Amino acid sequence: MIRVQRGRGGWVTSRMELTRAAAMAVMIAALAIAGCSSKQPPPNNGAGTGTGSNLNSSGVGPGGNGSLGQFANGTTGGQGPLSDIHFGYNDYTISPQDGEILKANAKWLTDNPNAKVQIEGHCDERGSEEYNIALGARRAQAAKDYLVTLGVSADRISTISYGKELPVCTDHDDDCWTQNRRDHFVVTGS
Amino acid sequence: MLIRRLLLLSITLILLLAVLTTAEAQPISMTIEGPSAAAPIAVSGLKNLGGDESQELSSHFVATLSRNLQLSGYFKVINPHAYIEDPQASGYDLGQFNFSDWSSINAEFLVKGAVSIKGSEVDLVAMLFDVGSQRRLMGKRFTGGPNDVREMARRFADAVIGAYTGTRGPCDTKLAFVSTRGGRFKEIYVSYFDGDGLFQVTNNPTINLFPKLDHSVTHLLYLSYKSFQPALYLVNLSAKSEVKITSDHGTMVGGALTPDGSQIVAAIEHNGLTNLYLLDSSGTEIRALTSSPSINVGPAVSNDGTQVAFTSDRSGRPQIYVMPIGGGEAQRITYSGSYNTSPAFSPDGSKIAYESRDGGRFDIWEIPSSGGTPVRLTNGGGSNEAPCWSPDGRYIAFNSTRSGQSRIYLMLASNGNIISALTEDNGDDSSPAWSWWLGD
Repeated sequence: MIRVQRGRGGWVTSRMELTRAAAMAVMIAALAIAGCSSKQPPPNNGAGTGTGSNLNSSGVGPGGNGSLGQFANGTTGGQGPLSDIHFGYNDYTISPQDGEILKANAKWLTDNPNAKVQIEGHCDERGSEEYNIALGARRAQAAKDYLVTLGVSADRISTISYGKELPVCTDHDDDCWTQNRRDHFVVTGS
Repeated sequence: MLIRRLLLLSITLILLLAVLTTAEAQPISMTIEGPSAAAPIAVSGLKNLGGDESQELSSHFVATLSRNLQLSGYFKVINPHAYIEDPQASGYDLGQFNFSDWSSINAEFLVKGAVSIKGSEVDLVAMLFDVGSQRRLMGKRFTGGPNDVREMARRFADAVIGAYTGTRGPCDTKLAFVSTRGGRFKEIYVSYFDGDGLFQVTNNPTINLFPKLDHSVTHLLYLSYKSFQPALYLVNLSAKSEVKITSDHGTMVGGALTPDGSQIVAAIEHNGLTNLYLLDSSGTEIRALTSSPSINVGPAVSNDGTQVAFTSDRSGRPQIYVMPIGGGEAQRITYSGSYNTSPAFSPDGSKIAYESRDGGRFDIWEIPSSGGTPVRLTNGGGSNEAPCWSPDGRYIAFNSTRSGQSRIYLMLASNGNIISALTEDNGDDSSPAWSWWLGD
């Protein structure tokens, strides 16, 4: 700031912040280099970002058979040995018929004692993204708790919520919303 | 003439109110009535005083100023093809040009100015004139580099809006948002308010959400699945570094930055329950804010850094709550509607904008932040979600599917009138976050 007077008809002089503009230019270049191509999972775009899988050593995750991995790779996969269950709107209670599905899933896990499972909680497109991530976590936890009561060891079960980010159906109607409000079961090791 | 008299009257009234308010030592309200009709303004080219023979700097200044004045909703920029006067052949201050050249094309206001460049030093003068009264209302002089000219135009736009309404405009700011414009993936972007200077913050083939900016646009917080499990990431835009924020309490669901960027309110999920924690910028816990057997998400921090608004379903349905950032009881704010989320404090802290479900879609409402009667701001036209406020409190940016795909729109906070789409591209844009003013 150099001079002078403020007010109607008066002058206000300001000096642009050259250093900030220069810093922005450097930053854009640096982050552009640090960012990786969309064809190169796993992603890493900056200091302090982890690149290792937080799931297990089988490498499931982006590049694997989970919903995020399929989304990242642009692939769609089969259901796997375990069936999905579904939920009512803004609900995470397990219906009696979905309880039967969970019993079948529990039996498969009992018959395959080395298998681990990740339960993915998903939501329909309505509502805020953040609330839906929390709601999907509740749905995943509800199925985990159910499987544990059926005798599946809790340490074989991990959970993750994708909220409304990874729909299986993208139309904006009740049919689609019903399909998207789901727990998806991904076998992560056997 | 009648319209112009009314405008002058309204300006006088605003100034009078400001004087009266000041005399009573009350803070001037940051929310004032928005434009009822856009005033015609002419934005003349800058007179070249040396070095801008190509008129490149002039054209950058004029284009940026014109776009920002249009976006404000207060002005309609008259098509330059109608301009009679040659700015290079006339002067740019009182007595050096003919107001009749501008009144004859029905301009009520006029911007003129001059620019010179010596080496890499740009010297730019711009002035606002009232054509009817043939008075100069305001002038500013900027110096800087050639790449600063668009920023000079945004600051001058804020000054023009300030001269016209009594309150500085919202243009010298940045927006962070999520967009799929680069392909299938939700990535974080930052641009100036007018869309200029677009900068892609993230580039990973997963999911990136909830960008939040501190006041100085030094820090940007976001949630990403790039390491497979969702985590918060705090980018230092100045230092070009990024810190991954995780917690022993559980999995990150979302978060907010305090205005100074020094602390994070994080929503952390454990065994299906999500609660709020105050963390420092390295992720170290300062205190638990909620410990409820429910979902507590979507935190927003008030501008003075003292209050946190958030969504909780502790009553059975998602509703908006407010609590002190220092801890204590949360007060339920919303009682109308069965699904209210995404709270955002107005800059003066007096109001909260939020989204409320209506059938399969959402609308933006606002409510006093101490509770009270909610006011509907949008009504139909697709789903309207994720509101955020401009620092002057006059505008709310939000994402809407009213044109099919999700885009970010600008509306007046006072009445919900839509001014414009802020983004127009091939992807879906969402989750806007509005910075404070960049300059003083």
